[in-house]
Amino acid sequence: MLKVAIVGCGKIADAHATQILRVGGCEIVGVCDRESLMARQLYERFPVKRYFTDLAELVSEARPDVVHITTPPESHFDIARFCLEHHCHVYVEKPFTLDVHQAQQLVDLAEEKGLKLTVGHNCQFSHAARRLRALVKDGYLGGRPVHMESHYGYDNAAYARALLGDRQHWVRRLPGKLLQNIISHGIATIAEFLTGDSVQVVAHGFISPLLKRIGEREIVDELRVIISDSEHTTAYFTFSSQMRPSLHEFRIYGPKNGLILDQDHEILLRLRGAKFKSYADYFIPPVMFAKQHLENLVRNARLFLARDFHMDAGMKVLIESFYRSIRENATVPIPYREILLTSQIMDTIFDQLRDQLADQSASSQSRADLVPPIGFKMPYLQ
Amino acid sequence: MASRESGPLRGRAPKPVSPDSFIIAPDDRILVTGAAGFIGSRVVETLVDRGFRNVVCFARPASDLARLEASIKGRLLGTRIEVLRGNLLSRADCEAASKGVTVIYHLAAGTGEKSFPDAFMNSVVTTRNLLEASVQYACLKRFVLVSSFAVYTNRQKSRRLDESCPVEAHPELSGNACCFAKVKQEQIVTEFAKKFAVPYVIVRPGSVYGPGHAEITGRVGIRAFGPFLHLGGFNRIPFTYVDNCAEAIVLAGLVRGVEGEIFNVLDDDTPSSRRFLKLYKQNVRAFKSAYVPHMFSYALCYLWEKYSQCSEGQLPPAFNRRRWYAEWRRTSYSNAKLKERLGWAPKVPTNEALRLYFRSCAQGGHHA
Repeated sequence: MLKVAIVGCGKIADAHATQILRVGGCEIVGVCDRESLMARQLYERFPVKRYFTDLAELVSEARPDVVHITTPPESHFDIARFCLEHHCHVYVEKPFTLDVHQAQQLVDLAEEKGLKLTVGHNCQFSHAARRLRALVKDGYLGGRPVHMESHYGYDNAAYARALLGDRQHWVRRLPGKLLQNIISHGIATIAEFLTGDSVQVVAHGFISPLLKRIGEREIVDELRVIISDSEHTTAYFTFSSQMRPSLHEFRIYGPKNGLILDQDHEILLRLRGAKFKSYADYFIPPVMFAKQHLENLVRNARLFLARDFHMDAGMKVLIESFYRSIRENATVPIPYREILLTSQIMDTIFDQLRDQLADQSASSQSRADLVPPIGFKMPYLQ
Repeated sequence: MASRESGPLRGRAPKPVSPDSFIIAPDDRILVTGAAGFIGSRVVETLVDRGFRNVVCFARPASDLARLEASIKGRLLGTRIEVLRGNLLSRADCEAASKGVTVIYHLAAGTGEKSFPDAFMNSVVTTRNLLEASVQYACLKRFVLVSSFAVYTNRQKSRRLDESCPVEAHPELSGNACCFAKVKQEQIVTEFAKKFAVPYVIVRPGSVYGPGHAEITGRVGIRAFGPFLHLGGFNRIPFTYVDNCAEAIVLAGLVRGVEGEIFNVLDDDTPSSRRFLKLYKQNVRAFKSAYVPHMFSYALCYLWEKYSQCSEGQLPPAFNRRRWYAEWRRTSYSNAKLKERLGWAPKVPTNEALRLYFRSCAQGGHHA
């Protein structure tokens, strides 16, 4: 029986506890939060053995094999390091750490101790995302990816209201502010398919007119990024709080075919590279798309009827895969290279945005100019 | 717009409230948390109207103060209204807010929508912080907690619900984050009262309505899967008009000799669910609704609950038997204690309150 603990008893901890309990062969031996009331409420609502307010006590008394870290991002690094030093495998909620240096230190420590580490990029483990991965692996694209597009929309009015109205909100203290807390899902989806050993990033971000009107001066809520690796695989990343529909979509194109993953509706579409002759190209593809949509509908309905279509289905699969990697000493579900590359791309984006905002405030221009692309080698990936 | 389907509540006529029976003087400092909210702004207005001249309004940094400003507009002559922006999760903010305060009206709460931890943190942790801060100063004479009808199980044998009815013993199973948070919030207040002799009163309003709050209460029905599902039927809805509710809350903080008491707040002559829906459609906007008889709504809640369990939460337990009893069981309510002990009487009769509410909804174009 794998002994699991959760550190941080806020909103996301509920999802972790729910999914951990759905995974066989494990038990939650303790939950921990500096705020004792929060720790107690989680303990009261879930079958949890004990609750703690001190991490050291949790680790020494409950003796967990795995610790899930669901605290605000600022504390991820210190808690994860402490857990690794005390021989616990660690699952860190996204964003993994505040920067790539912290991420590298955790990876190094985990490898040194022979422990496993993962990050909560659970969107990559949804039913449709796993089908996409399988198709790519089977060579559906016809070669290495040529180009990718990742859209990550943001439409959380309650959260935005709390953040925008509170100058002391913890999200404002993150190096990448709102973006740091949100974009790692969309960036990680791209990082998974980048294979080159160096990456270039060009980021352009701005504060939307809506936020400007209400006096916001530091939260960037619109971001466009071009990413390119040394193998000439390119990607566009779009983050938008204003665009509707608020998409969570990933497109990947190879030399032969492409794929569209619609995370919001659990839809995967195959894009056939070859064309039909003459007018047939206007009539046959729509029928083929209709057939694919119908297949997606039937698949989703089957999964629902089989009681395997939960909102956090991806998290359960990620947790199961991570626990399996611990039990069988197998490969972790998210390669460390991907975790580090995601961190590094995010760091580069935030560096560029900081420069842009500084330029904007210096010149008082309403629109920032694009800064030259910043390239970086990938020392962490060698 | 008189309600023909429900008779007036039977209670003794309220005793008039004399300012002499109040526990504080007009210049004593009063704190209202959640002061920018729908009810909080009316509480401030009621206090000012009653001649209290030293009111601290606590609001979140993100709160829109328009409602509060509208409530106290033109009433400020000789009155000190201090707006304090802060977060009750911060102990320092709680200390600043409760310094020198004689009465605290604690309305701030987090519904958390569907999140139990959010609702808990913004209701229970904040309440604990406020209580801890306030007991440091020896001047607190009354702590008024504004709770909710959501705490009741409504599974008592009698169909009459009053303050003596049992509170949910397992709010974590209710599927309702607000119920969980409110039960725990009441518990923490009573724990503090025992430990530090905090003089408290708990007020449990029913369904508060009024201009600026357009949603139709779930006790009438819900919009789900297309048409509006009318679940209330002939049930009387425990409505309380926002001004009447604010009056009850204010009195709970002022009247002598009610420490440790609980008061349900609802108006007289409240309409049945069916009557309310009909009036809403006539006065605000017509829309399609489908009546779901009680037997069917109970069966649906039962099946939903079972499916949620056996599917390991594939459908969250949003509908379950606990909710059915709490919201849709045929029940009658009493406001007798409120009238008798606090001398409360509705400032706005139900007919007039409904007229004002519907007019506001129609002007705002709000819809269920």
